[in-house]
Amino acid sequence: MTTGYNFAYLNEQTKRMIRRALLKAVAIPGYQVPFASREMPMPYGWGTGGVQVTASILTPGDTLKVIDQGADDTTNAVSIRKFFVRTAGVATTEETEKASIIQTRHRVPEASLREDQILVYQVPIPEPLRFLEPRETETRKMHALEEYGIMHVKLYEDIARHGHIATAYAYPAKVNGRYVFDPSPIPKFDNPKLDDCAALQLFGAGREKRIYAVPPYTKVTSLDFEDHPFSVQKWEEPCALCGSTTTYLDEIILDDKGKRMFVCSDTDHCRKAQEKAA
Amino acid sequence: MSTELLSGFTDQARGSAEAFRVMLDAMAQPGRILPLKPDFAAPAPLFDSTAAICLTLCDYDTPLWLDDSLREAAVIDYLRFHTGARIENDSSQASFLLCTPATAAEALARASIGNAEYPDASATLVIQVPDFSGDRLTLKGPGIKDERAFTTAGLDARFWALMDENHQLFPLGRDVYFAAPQEIAALPRSTQIKREGQA
Repeated sequence: MTTGYNFAYLNEQTKRMIRRALLKAVAIPGYQVPFASREMPMPYGWGTGGVQVTASILTPGDTLKVIDQGADDTTNAVSIRKFFVRTAGVATTEETEKASIIQTRHRVPEASLREDQILVYQVPIPEPLRFLEPRETETRKMHALEEYGIMHVKLYEDIARHGHIATAYAYPAKVNGRYVFDPSPIPKFDNPKLDDCAALQLFGAGREKRIYAVPPYTKVTSLDFEDHPFSVQKWEEPCALCGSTTTYLDEIILDDKGKRMFVCSDTDHCRKAQEKAA
Repeated sequence: MSTELLSGFTDQARGSAEAFRVMLDAMAQPGRILPLKPDFAAPAPLFDSTAAICLTLCDYDTPLWLDDSLREAAVIDYLRFHTGARIENDSSQASFLLCTPATAAEALARASIGNAEYPDASATLVIQVPDFSGDRLTLKGPGIKDERAFTTAGLDARFWALMDENHQLFPLGRDVYFAAPQEIAALPRSTQIKREGQA
């Protein structure tokens, strides 16, 4: 562990400010709490929001898992995991079941989570209405008035143009029947896992300076229409490595002649399934 | 001042991190009673648990209000020194309100509820209760699988009527921590509270 830094890098005043924001976020599920995001020793877009949330909730006894698109061994995941080993000296793991805190970029682990686990999401654009209404003053009013009509118009236009809702990731959902929120750019395949999840889910957006949360056992409803109900992606073939037919698969191009394979995006889940089969 | 100023967390970073996780779990699972035993002793009548909440969350950004029974010189000096928070006389202006069952209803009624665009700009109450026995309540809402039974002592019908109103205000409203000497529980604004004998 590197000396000369405070435990988990952030100073105590910063942690107090983030902790207050986290408690309000949990008390108002789905509402985006503004916070005074700090510069972190990594560029915006690399998970500075998630890192600040993790730093503020981390205790010396925690076991941390970090995933990027489901994988434990990608650059972003490896560097964030090393960052907390150096600044907080916490134990790390690649196994979902053994982690007490899981920081994630763009995936929810396949294994179901428990009450004693916390999932921390890295969020690029926390405002689901931002691409429809660029003014923060307006989107804030729309949330205050529960005015989400334009989001349904957007989904309707998808249907009019493509014949189905074409939004495949960062699929908007309503939390606890009140706030429409952006579940971060997870594939819509993962949206049903947010609903009634046993673990606490925290979302941090560093550049956009917002924190929000979904408490355990909270209703998360993906927006849809009666005649175009919400549905998730399906694949025609199983995972080429573990044979799973129930997980989210990544398409991997093997050569320049169109050869490809589909494999699980959750590396830990896939490895365990292979070990079990072996 | 003749009395010696008591200390806070032995190791501030680790002590407050551990205290905060208990507070976060309590807020995320309303009505769950969790142990909060900091490694220091707070000046009476302030409970150790209440002091741990203040030392973890309060600073110069969070005006602090105390009811008359807690407004003792030793307590004020302690909180001022360890948190740097301004001690506020007007409870409607405070971010955190420390109170006891006798003053809880009045404090809840006056505490800030935030506004429609910023419902997070609302107050948090910390109510010191002797223990978690007595009034039987049934809780429902985010953080609770189906329903959860909860008991807490010393709070009157007016307080619980105001808590009902507080929930109706959602997403506005105040959030409440109940602090027994070595345990805490929380009731955020999102929790629906049913009292025994109430339909």
